[in-house]
Amino acid sequence: MASSSKTEQKKMLILKSSEEEEFEIEESIAVQSGTIKNMVEDDFTLIPLPNVDTETLIKIIKYMKKHGEKTKSNEKDIEEFDKEFVKKSFTELKELVLAANYLHITSLIDLLCQAFADRIKNKSVKAIREIFGIPNDFTPEEEAEVYEQHKWAHEEGKEHIDHSAY
Amino acid sequence: MGVKKVEEEEEENRARGKRLKCTFNMEKQQEGGAKEEHDYGEGEIDDDYEQFIGEDDDSDEDDEHDNDDEEIGDNIGVPCSQPVGFFYPLTTPSSIVVSDALDPDLPVIYVNTVFEISTGYRADEVLGRNCRFLQFRDPRAQRRHPLVDPVVVSEIRRCLEEGVDFQGELLNFRKDGTPLVNRLRLAPIHSDDGTVTHIIGIQMFSEAKIDLNTVSYPVFKETCQPHCEEFSEYSIKSGNLLHCQHREICGILQLSDEVLAHNILSRLTPRDVASIGSVCRRIRQLTKNEHVRKMVCQNAWGADVTGVLEHMTKKLAWGRLARELTTLEAVCWKKLTVRGAVEPSRCNFSACAAGNRLVLFGGEGVNMQPMDDTFVLNLDAANPEWRRVSVKSSPPGRWGHTLSCLNGSWLVVFGGCGRQGLLNDVFVLDLDAKQPTWKEVSGGTPPLPRSWHSSCTMEGSKLVVSGGCTDAGVLLSDTYLLDLTNDKPTWREIPTTWAPPSRLGHSLSAYGKTKILMFGGLAKSGHLRLRSGESYTIDLEDERPQWRQLECGAFTGVGSQNAVVPPPRLDHVAVTMPCGRIIIFGGSIAGLHSPSQLFLLDPSEEKPLWRTLNVPGQPPKFAWGHSTCVVGGTRVLVLGGHTGEEWILNELYELCLASKQDSEA
Repeated sequence: MASSSKTEQKKMLILKSSEEEEFEIEESIAVQSGTIKNMVEDDFTLIPLPNVDTETLIKIIKYMKKHGEKTKSNEKDIEEFDKEFVKKSFTELKELVLAANYLHITSLIDLLCQAFADRIKNKSVKAIREIFGIPNDFTPEEEAEVYEQHKWAHEEGKEHIDHSAY
Repeated sequence: MGVKKVEEEEEENRARGKRLKCTFNMEKQQEGGAKEEHDYGEGEIDDDYEQFIGEDDDSDEDDEHDNDDEEIGDNIGVPCSQPVGFFYPLTTPSSIVVSDALDPDLPVIYVNTVFEISTGYRADEVLGRNCRFLQFRDPRAQRRHPLVDPVVVSEIRRCLEEGVDFQGELLNFRKDGTPLVNRLRLAPIHSDDGTVTHIIGIQMFSEAKIDLNTVSYPVFKETCQPHCEEFSEYSIKSGNLLHCQHREICGILQLSDEVLAHNILSRLTPRDVASIGSVCRRIRQLTKNEHVRKMVCQNAWGADVTGVLEHMTKKLAWGRLARELTTLEAVCWKKLTVRGAVEPSRCNFSACAAGNRLVLFGGEGVNMQPMDDTFVLNLDAANPEWRRVSVKSSPPGRWGHTLSCLNGSWLVVFGGCGRQGLLNDVFVLDLDAKQPTWKEVSGGTPPLPRSWHSSCTMEGSKLVVSGGCTDAGVLLSDTYLLDLTNDKPTWREIPTTWAPPSRLGHSLSAYGKTKILMFGGLAKSGHLRLRSGESYTIDLEDERPQWRQLECGAFTGVGSQNAVVPPPRLDHVAVTMPCGRIIIFGGSIAGLHSPSQLFLLDPSEEKPLWRTLNVPGQPPKFAWGHSTCVVGGTRVLVLGGHTGEEWILNELYELCLASKQDSEA
C-alpha cells in the first residue's frame, strides 16, 4: 500500500517528459492517469515519462487539471473545454492519443478517438489518405476488387441509393 | 483471535525458526502420484498455528476429508482432496504460499517445500512478510524491480481487495537474483461467516528468459514500432509479460490495432467503415474483422438492436448485414403458408412479435363480439402453426386495442373497445413463463379509455401511447408513458406545449433510442377528419420533450420517377429498421394508390426525404398496422390477405430486409 502523506499539504508529483523537463502536479489530479496511479502506489514521486514529449505533456497536464476539477455544476464548462481541446492538427492529435494511450487516461483516449472518427466521417478514400499521409499499397487489381466490394459505401457522395432508379 | 495474537505467534515462530511441514493431500499426490484417502502423512503440526487458523471451512471438494481431523488442511478449507492437476499438470510440483488475510499486510504464514526450493528462500526467512519480496531482485531491495509489470501488480491488488480469484503471470526473483516467471493463482479462503481469512497462492515458477541489462526505467508497454511484431508470451524487449496477445502495429498511423480498430473505427458508421477499408491494406484488414464490424453496428444502432439481431439470426455476418440494411439490395417479398387456425374468425385484432413468435390477442368476432383469446405462431418450428395459448385468466375481450412487445418475451395490451365500452386497462403476459398468464398492471391514474390509439415500446420496457378515440367519439392528442421496469409502474402524461392534431389510426415508431416518429392517421382538420400524411417527432430524452412537425420532402435522384411522398393514410404499417430508418406502407389510403408501395424515411437527417422502394416478389394486397409484426429486426410479417369479409391468417407475407445469413453466404 502507498504511504499517503498525512499532512494537510496536497501531495505533489513531478512528471518528467522525454526531453527531461519537469512539471509539478498534484497527485490527486495526476492519478487520472492509470499508469501514473500505479507508479504512485509504489511510492514514486518523480515519474519519468520517456514516451511523452514536453509539448504533449503540457497539453495532457492541462487536460487533467481541467478534468480534475470536475463537479456537477461545471459540466458544460468542461464540455466546452473538450470541444476546444480537440481543435488541433492531426499530428498533434496523433501524439496526444499515443500519449493518452500510454498514460491510460480513458476519458482522454475516448475524446481523442471520437475526434479522429469525426474527422474521418464522410470523407472520401482519397481524402483520408491525404489527411493521414497513408500511401496506397494496393496493386491495381486489388484496388479494383476492393472498390467493387465497397462500392455501395462510396457511391453518390455518400448519399443513399434510391432504388426507384432501378 | 485478533491481530495481536497473530503477531505474537509470528514473533515466537520466527524466533524459533520453525518450519512447517506440509500435510496437504496434494503434496502427497505430487510425490506419490496417487491420491491417498485419509492419509495425511506425518509431520510437525504446530498447535499454535492450528488455533489461529480458524474454524473448519466446509468447501465442496472436501468430501474425502474426515472433518473431525484437525489437520491444517482441513481448517483452511483448501480443496485438499482435489488434485492440483485441475489447473496445473499433475507432474509439475506447485509452490504454495498461504497468507493471513486478517492482517492488512497479508503476511505469509506458510510456504511449502517446493516454494523454498524454487525461490531459494527458507520458510523462516519469509514467514511474517508480505510475499512482494519476490518482486525484489535483491533481498535488501526496498522496492520491486522495474521489469515487474505494474499493471499485473495493480490487478493483484484489485483482486485481493475485491476478494476474487487472480490468475496471471508475474516476474519474480530468486534469493540469488535469478529472474523467474511466476504463473500465479491467488484465491481467497473464507471462514464460516464469509470473511476472508486467508489467501492461498499457488505458483508455477519457470526460468525467465530476459536480459536484465537492456531495460530502461521505468518500463512501459510498447505502443509504436516501425514494423509489425508478433508477441507471444513475452515481449522480449521490455520484459513485460503479455497474456497471449497478438498485436500487430500499424506502422502507418503508429497506433496499435487496439486503438485504431476498437476505439476509432468502431465510432464510424457502417458505411464509413466499409469505405475506409479501401484506403490501405492494413486498414482493410482491420475493417474485415467481424468483432470490429459488430461494434460498429452496435455503436451505430444501439446495443438493444444488435442484441436482437444477433439472437435472431444464425451465423450473422455483421458487415454484410450492415451493408444490406443500408442499401436494401436484398429486400424482397416472400409468401409463407402456415398451419393451424385462429378460430373463431375475427377482425380488428392486434398482433405483435415476441422474438420469433407471433402473438395475436383479441379482436372483433361475429356480431361485433369482443374476443379475449390469445394465439401464438412459432416461426422457429419446422412447420409453424397457430396455436391457442391456454392462459389461467385473460383480460376482458376487446378490439381496437394495441398489443406491444417488451423486453424478450413479454407482451402488453392497452385499451380498446370491450363489451361495456372503451377500456384503459393494462395487461402483461410473459410468453416464456411455464404457465403464461395475463396479469393486470394497475398503473396509477390511467389515460382516458380509448380505441384505435397507437402505441410503441421505448428502450424495451416503456410503453408509449398516444391519440385514439374516446367513448364520446372525441379524437385525442395526448401522449402517455408507462415505465414497466418499475415495481409499481405509474402512468405519466407527457405534457407538451403543442401536440399534433388529434387523431386515430396513426403509427408511432421508436427510433434512435429515445425518439418517436408519428405518421399519418385520421386526423382532426377543422370540422372534418381527414387522412393525414404528416410526420411528427419527439425526443423523450429532452428535459421538456416537445412534439414538432417534421417537414419531409421527396428524394429526387438521377433517373428516378417523380418525387413522391407517401399519400395520406391510416392503419398503415410503420417499421423501424435496425439502422434507424423507417419504412411505411399499407393502410387505408385516400385515392387509388397501391398499398404495397414502400416508402423509406430517415428521420434523423437534417432535411429528411422520403424515398420510394421497389421490392421484388409478390406483395400482399392489403397490409394493416395491427396485423403486422417485425421479427428479429429484419423480417416484417404481414398477416393474411383479406378477401371479402374473411381474414386469411394462414397466409403470411414476409418482407425480408436482409438475406437470411444461414442460407446465403
